[in-house]
Order: sequence, then structure tokens, then C-alpha cells
Amino acid sequence: MTFEPRIVGFLCNWCSYAGADLAGVSRISYPTNIRIIRLMCSGRVDPVFVLETLANGADGVMVMGCHPGDCHYVEGNLQTERKIKMLKKLIARTGLEPERVRLEWVSASEGGRFAELVKEFTNQIKALGPSPLVGEKPDPNILEDLLAAKATAGDFRLRVLVGKEKGMIDDGNVYGEEVSQEEFDKTMDEAIDAEYVRNKIYLMVRKEPLSVKELSKRLDLDPQAVLRHMVVMRRRGMVTVDRIEGTTPLYAALEVGR
Amino acid sequence: MFICHCGINIGGIVNVPEVVKYAMTLPNVVYSEGNLYTCSSEGLSKIKEGIGKYNLNRVIVASCTPRTHEPLFRATCEEAGVNKYLFEMANIREHCSWAHMHEPDKATEKAKDIVRMAVAKARLLKPQEEPEIDVAPSALVIGGGISGMTAALCLADQGFKVYLVEKEPELGGMLRHLHKLYPTMVDASEGLNKIVEAVKPNKNIEVWKSTVVKQVKGFIGNFDVSFQRENGETANFRVGTIIVATGADVFEPVGMYGYEKYDNVITQFKLEQLLKGGQLEKPERVVMIQCTGAREEKGRTYCSRICCMTALKNALLVKESYPETDVYILFRDLQTYGKEYEEWHRMAQDRGVKFIKYALEKPPEVVAGNNGKLTVDVYHALLNEQVQIESDLVVLSTPLVQHEDAKELSQILKVPLGPDGFFFEAHVKLRPIDFATDGIYVCGTAHSPKDTAESVSQALGVASRAAIPMAVKRLRTEAITATVDEILCSGCGTCVTICPYGAIEKDEKGVARVTAVVCKGCGTCGASCPEKAISMRHFTDEQVVAQALAALGRAVA
Amino acid sequence: MEASKSVLVIGGGIAGMQASLDLASRGLKVYLAEKTPSIGGRMAQLDKTFPTMDCSICILAPKMIECFRHPNITLLTYSEVQEVSGSAGNFTVKILKKPRFINEEKCTGCGVCAQHCPVEVPNEFDMGIGVRKAIYVPFPQAVPLKYTVDEENCLKCRLCQRMCQAEAVDLNQKPEVVHLNVGAVVVATGFELFDVQRRSEYGYGKYQNVLISLEFERLLSASGPTGGHLLRLSDGRIPKRIAFIQCVGSRSLKGGVSFCSSACCMYATKEAILIREHEPECEVYIFYNELKVFGKGFQDFVTRAQNDWGVKYVRALPGEVLEDSKTGDLTLWYEDTRENVTKSIKADIVVLCPALVPRAANKEVGVILGLELDEHGFFKPKDSLFAPVDTNVLGVFICGYCQSPKDIPESVAQASAAAARAAEVIALSPSKEVH
Repeated sequence: MTFEPRIVGFLCNWCSYAGADLAGVSRISYPTNIRIIRLMCSGRVDPVFVLETLANGADGVMVMGCHPGDCHYVEGNLQTERKIKMLKKLIARTGLEPERVRLEWVSASEGGRFAELVKEFTNQIKALGPSPLVGEKPDPNILEDLLAAKATAGDFRLRVLVGKEKGMIDDGNVYGEEVSQEEFDKTMDEAIDAEYVRNKIYLMVRKEPLSVKELSKRLDLDPQAVLRHMVVMRRRGMVTVDRIEGTTPLYAALEVGR
Repeated sequence: MFICHCGINIGGIVNVPEVVKYAMTLPNVVYSEGNLYTCSSEGLSKIKEGIGKYNLNRVIVASCTPRTHEPLFRATCEEAGVNKYLFEMANIREHCSWAHMHEPDKATEKAKDIVRMAVAKARLLKPQEEPEIDVAPSALVIGGGISGMTAALCLADQGFKVYLVEKEPELGGMLRHLHKLYPTMVDASEGLNKIVEAVKPNKNIEVWKSTVVKQVKGFIGNFDVSFQRENGETANFRVGTIIVATGADVFEPVGMYGYEKYDNVITQFKLEQLLKGGQLEKPERVVMIQCTGAREEKGRTYCSRICCMTALKNALLVKESYPETDVYILFRDLQTYGKEYEEWHRMAQDRGVKFIKYALEKPPEVVAGNNGKLTVDVYHALLNEQVQIESDLVVLSTPLVQHEDAKELSQILKVPLGPDGFFFEAHVKLRPIDFATDGIYVCGTAHSPKDTAESVSQALGVASRAAIPMAVKRLRTEAITATVDEILCSGCGTCVTICPYGAIEKDEKGVARVTAVVCKGCGTCGASCPEKAISMRHFTDEQVVAQALAALGRAVA
Repeated sequence: MEASKSVLVIGGGIAGMQASLDLASRGLKVYLAEKTPSIGGRMAQLDKTFPTMDCSICILAPKMIECFRHPNITLLTYSEVQEVSGSAGNFTVKILKKPRFINEEKCTGCGVCAQHCPVEVPNEFDMGIGVRKAIYVPFPQAVPLKYTVDEENCLKCRLCQRMCQAEAVDLNQKPEVVHLNVGAVVVATGFELFDVQRRSEYGYGKYQNVLISLEFERLLSASGPTGGHLLRLSDGRIPKRIAFIQCVGSRSLKGGVSFCSSACCMYATKEAILIREHEPECEVYIFYNELKVFGKGFQDFVTRAQNDWGVKYVRALPGEVLEDSKTGDLTLWYEDTRENVTKSIKADIVVLCPALVPRAANKEVGVILGLELDEHGFFKPKDSLFAPVDTNVLGVFICGYCQSPKDIPESVAQASAAAARAAEVIALSPSKEVH
């Protein structure tokens, strides 16, 4: 049986959803695989939505908005751009292919373009193959990766960075100093790395208490780096020492609740 | 659940009866029927009937795109007693039957998925109330020039109270300094006085001269404004709308073409004033240089629109007073646009005004000549030769520029200035005189350089725009808005900067608060909030995720 | 409703729509009369708008739908104003609703009729280079989305009637006369294009690859006859060089009009950028005389076209265009005023920018309303400086291009101005009862 990808699309009401409408009005055919969710603005797309969708077995996710400059809500799409950029960096650290997520600009008059993009993406996903998270037995490692990514995307640090990115780059920081995109990207990349690893650690020590040595083996990271993360996580109340075996502390997760 | 055949548009490809049956298997679906045309009066009756008979508290219509008929179906639900926000549509035409005409089986399966997704969202929908606010039937007009006064008079005549605030001791603005206005050549003071005399006795207009706006708080319908007079006197008023009509300044071309170095290099504005006062002594040869400090490569890159016509007008006036005087106009592209202005170019040529085109890359030079005169050296771009003109009066046509204090006003009002320094409208094409912030409007040269006729058109225009909320007295807005959970909010301020409408502010507790009537519901704040403290009515995280999971055939936990 | 609290708007383009929405939003009743089957006007025909490069129909369609949905606006499409009498505060209007041969209450716009109609004719919306059926909507986003039968070309085969499941086709429909009482009238009749065949030296009508700008705009549009693919109509080839000729019929003392249409330099720049976006290998030349860059953002737009997109501006208006009849390729002859030599250049397509002129029908509208027109056919404002939207008839106002050449933002602002004045006149008029 040929593989039929399951694709979910998050489309903005004013441009891309209307573009999809026009494709229909113009009777332009495209593969049936996509299921469209209507939002008012592509800016509404929280990276967590995309990760949740992927974690539940979507083979591909499309996010579509208005062309830059055309956003019905002025700049929502520019925020989307930055969020998806961050999201892709995050996914790149998991075992899932970042190409399964695609951001495109489609205007209300681009029915043909909408159909083309859906066709192209569907074929791309067909070639990529089913998501490792589909079906009765999703790949447990990648699933864990994705859940860690979801937690990371839902965390304060990355969200505040992405949220403030445009303002900082356009208008400078609170001291009136210029912040360049490269500078910002460096900070963002470090934050993504750090928070993702921390969330992975969290998920791991939630299952069973583990030592720094064991964690560094499983994560393929330097033990010193892992220890630094543990220190931060302890301070944040994410982990605590469960017990000590010989001279080795074992860490367990604390329920991080509200 | 009402599933439409739309004639054969849907029914000819999607197996509607099968989808109707399938819908009944979905959680909470108690009734499901197919219609030939759900949007017909017959179809609408069936919806109302179904609501009554089956006690429906959520309604889904699976048919065409919501972008056209959603308001119609929502109204139908309301008529039958179901809150319009408890209604959801499933697009199985534009997004299904029409796009997959050659794959009816797959289209039918897709239609079922789309219906399942709609049900997943509909189950989580909550009724919403559309917030209403009162609108104070009064307007603040900032700027008492021709634009401000025109807007004020028009609003006053429609019955609204107007506070007209002018920072100078006199009303009139730029027109006070002008001599004659093209194309009718009416005397500026005459035209201006008529309007000032109409403003003075108008019972609805309260004029505040030598006054500036110090603070503005609130939102459309409810702006709390503080004024301050030169003598320190302050006053506070509540107004429903605000109009920015602050005009513009004339650029002083210090360091260009010998300005301030030589006495006989003046601005076009200065020439206008000399002509007005009858103080122009007979010049032998006048050279006007257009685009001085305008249409530059960097900085003031814009064209100031009115300088070419002003130069033509003044050239003709000079020729009228002093027929033997030579007048040269050095220009790059003559902005004689519109219905009548081309004629002026011809007229000027007929009256002996000489035109020399120069290019941006080779601008003219003004140097001291003999006997206190000046020599203007210019590369004639059409004759391709260097030309030298001896002149005793060089007139520089400079652009209009934004006032220095506009930055302060823009911060007080929280409205933006554009790349050229002039106020920046909500949408360059379709909302040229509105600001993105509801209830605040802009007109005249505060918006961009323009002449009297164009300023008056815009001023009348804002009188219409501002009258709308004030005439209806109460504003009702969509319920699709953001709301902040104060307990979760940590006051980081990300949402405040992200909102393009200024709908979110930090309150006294340092916590974000959304002004629902200003919020447009885009959801960007909701997706960005670091504490996940913001939820979007009618497009909540749960509803969106439920749809995504339903798309994948998974139910929400 | 009291007679005086309603307004008649003549013309359903962007100006007419804006005036209608302003008036309706503040509680006045509006009758919007439009002679074609759909509102939308010229903006619906554009691909993008300068200088923002917004997708035109994308920003227009929500306004069209708002006009349709607004409880205070009654759309009278496919209708013409026949008589107006009375005075400010109380005008009596007679409007003729031309028969669409479709029952508007029953038609759902589903389109099955057009799918089956056997007659194909040139489509006015596509300026004749695309086709439509004899039963048609002018464009997919038409408002109201109701079909219309083109009586002239209809074969009366009744296939549409048989296919329509809503039983909406009524081939016996008669014209309807609508009587209205309104307090004020706003005229927004827009423009038409100068007949460039009068400038025979450019070969329009003779040479297949000489187009007028609005035709070219339809070629560029994603919803146009080629789906937005830039192709030559004569042979379907992708053009490698396109030349624009400005001011065809504008700013001319002989064989044209003396005024400047005020939008052509900018829309040519826009089309030039669109060409470069569609086909980066295609060269674009704009032949002009004086570049009109007076509006907000205009100069920056041109600078971007030159520096970022490589559009070439040549200050010369070609004397003539010749065609190689074998290939359809064109040659332009011009005097390069910068270098002072006569040159020629070959082009695959030549786009003529015609003067935008007030509609010939304005004369009739002027007679019906008692309005004065100037020598070009524009409606005369009462005072061009201080009363730009008022006319010689109290209670009748003008806005948009029919008042004087202008672009979209100016039309929108002036439409609001006309609405303000109409509302003012109504507020100041004594109200009358409807009998």
C-alpha cells in the first residue's frame, strides 16, 4: 500500500485560507492529504501546536500566512517567521527531520500557488517517508525528543527571546544599543541548546533517577556540561537529589507545577 | 450538523449522505441532516427548526468557506437562541469537493475528517459577548491650520463638540504665511479668514490657542486628554476621537547652494512671504532650484509634491510684477500632476519662464559672481552642456518636513511616524487617514506634503471617519479577543511590544491587561506569551490542538 | 426611515464603496448603484497596488463583502440611475435595474450554469484578452456573487435553466424600476481608458504584442487569462524585453488630453517590478517624459525599482513602434534626450500607458443631476481649494477620479470627504417624511 502522508496545515484567515479557497474556486486539483485549520493570523501559531501535531503522528505540518508587508494585522506574519525559525532549530536537535515543517506565504489571490505548494510538500513528505511517530509503535526515543522539544518551546526563556527578537533588532535594547541579528542568533542558539538538553534530562530522570555520568553517556555530552545543567535545574526546582550511590548522586525529577 | 450538497458542487463529488451518517458517530452530535442549499431560506429554516427540536447548543454547517456565509449562519443561530460563537463551519467545498473533483472517494474521506475537526472545536466553544463601550460625542483636533479648522467645522456642523488646540497664538497655520494659492490664485489670507471667521462663532468648537497636548490616556470613545497653555494653565477633557492636523515645517537648506552664506540666496517660502508683503525689489534674473534637500539619495528621499507648482506660481507672479525680469527654473522632474497643473507649465513657458532640467548626479552649483551677484553653474541635462547663469536672486525650493516636536506627540498618542518622518497611517492604500489605533486620525501635511485642496479633502475625510464612532454612540466589537490570566502573568511586557494596535498595557500592578475593544484578535500575543498567560477567545490553545488531533484521527485526552 | 437620512452613491468602485461604508457605519442608509454586475471597480482588475505591492483583490474583497453584508447598504448592481429631481434633503431618484435573468434570491453563486453554458465571449474584466460564458460572474470574488445572463450573446438554449438546481434562472425577467428618496447623492464614477488607437504610430490594434497597461495587468494577474504566467499573446513565448511607453494621450495638446493622469508613472513602475519578479531574465524599459513621483512613498518606490530590480528608465517618448510581421517582435524609435541621438530598441512586448479619462457617460450623469463638467469631462468642484467635493448642486457631491486624476489612497480619503459633506448636509437639512 502506498504511503499517504497525513499533513496538517495552519492557515491564516485573510490570506492563505483565502488562497486555498481560490484554489478550490478555480478548480485547481491538489493531493487530498492536507487538513486545514483556520486561524485569524499565522501569528497565532504557537510552536507548541506544531510540536504537538508532530508528536501525535503528523507526517508533515504546513504553516501559511500573508506575504511580509501584507499581514492583515500589520506584522503577525513577521512574528510567525521568527517563531518557525526557532522551531526548526529546535526540531533539528531532535531525531525528527525539520523538513517536515514548512512555512510559506500565500496571498488570497494565489490559488495556483497554494495548490503547487501543497503538491510539492506532499511529494516531499512521500519521499521522506512516514513519520517515525506514526502508528501503534512510535519510535520512543524520537517521541521523547519531541516531548522535550515541546516543553522547551513552552518554556519561558525561549518564548521571551522569540517574542522580543523583532523589537530588539529593529529598535535596539533598553539601553538604546543596537542588537545585530547575528548576535541575537548566537544567544538564541545557545538558549535552544541549553533548554532542550535540560528538558531531555528532565524527561529522562522522570522515568528513573540517573547520575551525571549516565546522563552524559545517554546524551553524548561532556559530563561537565551536564553537571552545569543539573545545577541550573536544581535551582529552578526541576530536579532534586534522589539518593547517593557511593559518591555518585542520582537525580530525580520534581513535578514542575503551577 | 447540517451538511450541504450545494447543488452538485459538493454532492456531486462528496458522498454527502455518508458524511451525514458518519457525523452521527461523533461525540456530542445528536442530530445530522443533509441540505440541498443550506444558505437558502429553506436551509436556514431547517437550522432553526433543528435547534428548537433537538435542543442544540452547538451548530455546525459543513458547506462552503466561512469567509462568505459565516455571518449569515451566525445570525440564523442567534435568531434561534444560540449564541453566534457556538457556531462553527466545516469547509468541504473550496477545500474539498472543488479541489479534488477527480478523487471522490478520497474527497469523501477528507470531508469526514473536516467534519470531525469541526466537531472537536465546536465541543470546546464557549458563548461570547461582544464588549460594548460608550463613545463620547466629542473630538480633539490637534492643529488649527486649514486642515484642523476644516475638520473641526465639518464635525461641529454634524453636531459634535470639538476642542481645537493650536500651539501658536493665532489660528491659521501655514496659510497665514502664504501669498496666493494655486490653481485659483485666491489670496491665502482671504481664503483663510473666511474659515477662521466661521470657526470663531461656532458654538460647538472650543478653541485653545497657545496650547499643547500634554498627555493622552485611554482608548477610542474614552480618551482622557490634558492640555497646557503657554501661561501654565492646564485643563482635562474626555473626548471620543482625536484628529492629528499638526501640519509641517519648511526645510531650511543650511549649507546648500550658498544658503546663509549669500544674502541673495533665499528659500521659496521666503520668496512667498516677500511677494505677500510686496517687499520684493525688482530682480534682474531669478534662478529657482527645485528639489533642494529633497529626492536625495539618502535622508530626505521623498518628493515634496508642492514645490514645482509653488515655483511655477511664484515665477508667474514675479513675471507679472516685473515683466523684464528673467526667471529660470532648474528642475529634475516637473511635478505638474493632476487635472490642471500641466497647463501651468505651458503658461509659464509662454510667459517666458525658462526651464533647465538637471540630473541628480550633476546638481547645480552656486558661487559668488561679480558685483554682489551670484553665478549658478548647471549641467543642462537635455542640451548636454554646462550652462552658467548670472543671477541676483537664487530661490531654493525646499521640501516640507515634519515638526521637531512631532516625535513627542507621536509618543503621547502612541502613533507611529513613518520613514519620511511624517505620521504613518493604518494602511497606505485603503486606510490613508486612519491610524492603526482606533479613534485617532490624521490629515493634511502632518500625513505628507500636499497642497490646500488635498489637505481640505483629507480634513473632510477625517471628519467622516471620526464621526462614525461618535454618531453610533456605542461601539460593539468582535468577541475574538485576547484575555490575560493575571495570576500567570509575570509582567515581562512581551505582549505589550508585540501588539500592533497598542491594545495591551501594563496596569498598576505591573500585569498585562488587554483593552478588548481595541484588540483585533490576531492571536500573536497568545502565541508569544512566555508564561502562556494569554488565551484567545474562540481560538484557544485547546481548540486549535483539538482540531489538529482530530485531523490525525486522535481524540483529545 | 425619514427621507432625508439616506444617500445615493453612484459608482461601486473603491471610492463609491468607501463613501458607502462611511455613511452606513454612522447609521445612514445607503443605496449603492453600480452599472456592472459587481461592485469592485478598477481595483478588482489590478494584480498589485503601488507602492506597497499589496495584492489588490485581497485588500479589496473584505470591503466588498462588508458592503454586501452591511445592514444599512442596499446594493443595486447592474443598475443605472435614470432620473433625479428635488433638492438637498429630499431627492427623488429613479433607478433602472437591468434584468440579469437570474432570481437573485435563489441564486447561490454555485456556478453550475456557467460550467455548462456553450457560449464563450471575450471577458470585459480581462479587457478582452480572456473569455467568459454568456452566463457569468465578472470575476470569482464578485459581489454580489450572483450570475448574470448576457442577453446579447445568450443563445437561449436554456441549458443553464435545466442545470440550475436552485431554479434561479428566469429568462422572462423584466427590467425593474426602483424609486428612492434620498437626502444626498455622491458621484464616484471613476475612469475609462483613452482610446490609444488614436495614436496609430504605436500600432495598438495592429500589432499583437502592443498592449495597453490594463490588459497587461490582467496578464500578470494570478486570476487572469494566463494564470499570471508572463507570456506573449502572439506566440506564447516568454518575453525577454518589455518596454513601457508613458503618457499615451496624456499631457498632450494634440490627439489627447492636456492633463496628467497622475498614476501611470507609478503603475508602470509597479508592473515593471512584477515583470522582474516573474521573469528575472526579462529586461524592462520605461520610456517617460517627466517622472511623477509626488506621492507618499513614490520616489522610494522608483528608486527601489531602479536599484533593486534593475528597471531602466529612459527619458524619451518614442516616436513610433514598428513590427516585424514574421516574428511579432517590435522595434521602438526614440530620441534619447540625454545623449541627443536617435535610437532604436527591440522589444518582445510594448505596453502603452493610456491617459485615464473621465467616462463619456459622465455627461449623461451630469444632465440627470444638473452637474457642471469641465472641458475634459470631470465633474467640476464648487471650489477646487476649499470645497473640493461639493458641486454646483447642493446635496450632490463628487469623489475619486471623476473629480480629478488621483490614486487609490486619495480616492479613499476623498470618498470619506464626500461622505462627511453628505452627512453634514443631511444633518443640516430639515427632515421630511416619506409618503
